[in-house]
Amino acid sequence: MPRLHLHYYALLREQAGIQAETVDTAASTPLGLYSELAARHRFRLPASQLRVAVNAAFSDWDRTLADGDEVVFIPPVAGG
Amino acid sequence: MSDFEFTQEPIDAAGLACPLALDSAGGFATFEGRVREVNEGRVVTALEYEAYEALAIAEGERIVTEAIRRYGALRARCVHRLGKLKVGEVAVWVGVAAPHRAEAFAACRAIIDEIKHWLPIWKKEQYADGDSGWVNCGHAVRTPSQFDYSRQLALPEVGEAGQARLAQSSVLVIGAGGLGCAVLAALAGSGVGRLTVVDHDTVQPANLHRQPLYAVADIGRPKAEAAAERLSAYNPTVRVDALVRRFDDGNSAKLVEATDVVVDCTDNFASKFLVNDAAMRAGVPAVLASVYQYEGQLQVVRADRGGSCLRCQWPEATRDGLVGNCEQAGVLGPVPAVLGQLQAMEVLKLLLGLPGQLRDELLLVDLLESSQRRLAAPRNPDCAGRCVRVDAAVRTAPAAELDVTLPLASAAAAGYRIVDIREPMECEFEPMPVAGHESVPLGRLLDGELVVKPDVPYLLVCAHGVRSRAAAEFLRARGHANVWSLRGGLAAQGD
Repeated sequence: MPRLHLHYYALLREQAGIQAETVDTAASTPLGLYSELAARHRFRLPASQLRVAVNAAFSDWDRTLADGDEVVFIPPVAGG
Repeated sequence: MSDFEFTQEPIDAAGLACPLALDSAGGFATFEGRVREVNEGRVVTALEYEAYEALAIAEGERIVTEAIRRYGALRARCVHRLGKLKVGEVAVWVGVAAPHRAEAFAACRAIIDEIKHWLPIWKKEQYADGDSGWVNCGHAVRTPSQFDYSRQLALPEVGEAGQARLAQSSVLVIGAGGLGCAVLAALAGSGVGRLTVVDHDTVQPANLHRQPLYAVADIGRPKAEAAAERLSAYNPTVRVDALVRRFDDGNSAKLVEATDVVVDCTDNFASKFLVNDAAMRAGVPAVLASVYQYEGQLQVVRADRGGSCLRCQWPEATRDGLVGNCEQAGVLGPVPAVLGQLQAMEVLKLLLGLPGQLRDELLLVDLLESSQRRLAAPRNPDCAGRCVRVDAAVRTAPAAELDVTLPLASAAAAGYRIVDIREPMECEFEPMPVAGHESVPLGRLLDGELVVKPDVPYLLVCAHGVRSRAAAEFLRARGHANVWSLRGGLAAQGD
């Protein structure tokens, strides 16, 4: 079971109530991982409205996650 | 009756005010400038005003007309005394009738400031010691600049050549809010020769905590104009042009083509995509930033180098209302200030050719964590706009085609199916004023949980009408033509 390091930004940070966490997950892709987290943290935005970055680069939602990956979920923000 | 006049007779304020008593005017503001007994430490006993009348009248009328137009006043007039006046007498009188007090105060203030600044009027002061002297009332004559760039000239990467390059550069700043204030102040300070600031808004009390270019006295004034005035005073060697208008389809191409770099300091996605698209089409670099509470995102779009664009990062129909802006989510003043300074830094890197420029990256800044994260964001081959063409799905429909204004009870009676898209906590705090509605929070709606029947009109409702509009656009884009948003949300129902 891969252990992943997660970071949340903006709306997600607010809804999760934390900026970062380390999780052990059965999910193999960012999309599967997000569904798991959305249920746990009650995230309201669907994945289609977010971007995900793995190891400091934007990634597709269906790539395979590996042990030790750093995953960042980024919602769009527009404040000025 | 002319809007600007000179008079040799004592000013009759009540008589002048009569033609300004309009039924449509909810606000009437006046200003009286009076002869003071002391000027610059000397006791004054009397004054004598002289003017170059032909020029002053034409210029005075222009100033009054312009103030009426700019602030949306109904009528205004100004009368200036000439000849001899005693201490305490009224030397100049300004009156403005406007729909509300904000426009009346703002226009009145602008008229007296402009009159004092530009009109060819002189006064001869008669002093108590028997002496007298002529004083130019205006301040249009500027002293030579004392602005000193030596601390930045000392940088080997800048020097005289770099400073000269900055002086010849032109930067377009869209939005004069929290980000814009920081960007403008930094660029004016560094000596960028020409700054153009575009903003259609006026200064609001809730802007001041994070927008230090404005003072309490600027409330109600157009931001672009107040910012330009402040920046010109800060560094008179920089030319600052204020455009009090929206950055829109009609003017974006022309404005962006005429500049070296465009800086996006707007607070909504519709404008950010517009800046991105205009920059991509014109091949002009753009520096974009957004803030949220304690965080910010920064991206440099290198249209001139075939780099990735905003649409490469946000290819889905990203919409205003899905995430909060400063008004809805809250923001701490230093957050836009830091992000705006980072934008200014990227602009200077571009103009001076400094190393370390952000390119095909997204910079995430978290000021609670004091952390920065640089994410590689290469050009997306599936970019919805192919980096230039506009993605039709993202373009926002005009409000008139989406919003409806009517009491909820009438909407229910008219057969609208009412859907409350607020979060459960909000619904508990402020229950819907009508029964028989459906409750589907925005996130679930975006996930497809609202079953839309084809023959029934739907009215989406939230607190202020922003999220409901985004949700209505989302459903319309999926082919549901009979979906509407309640304008102003529940907050507007009491009006």
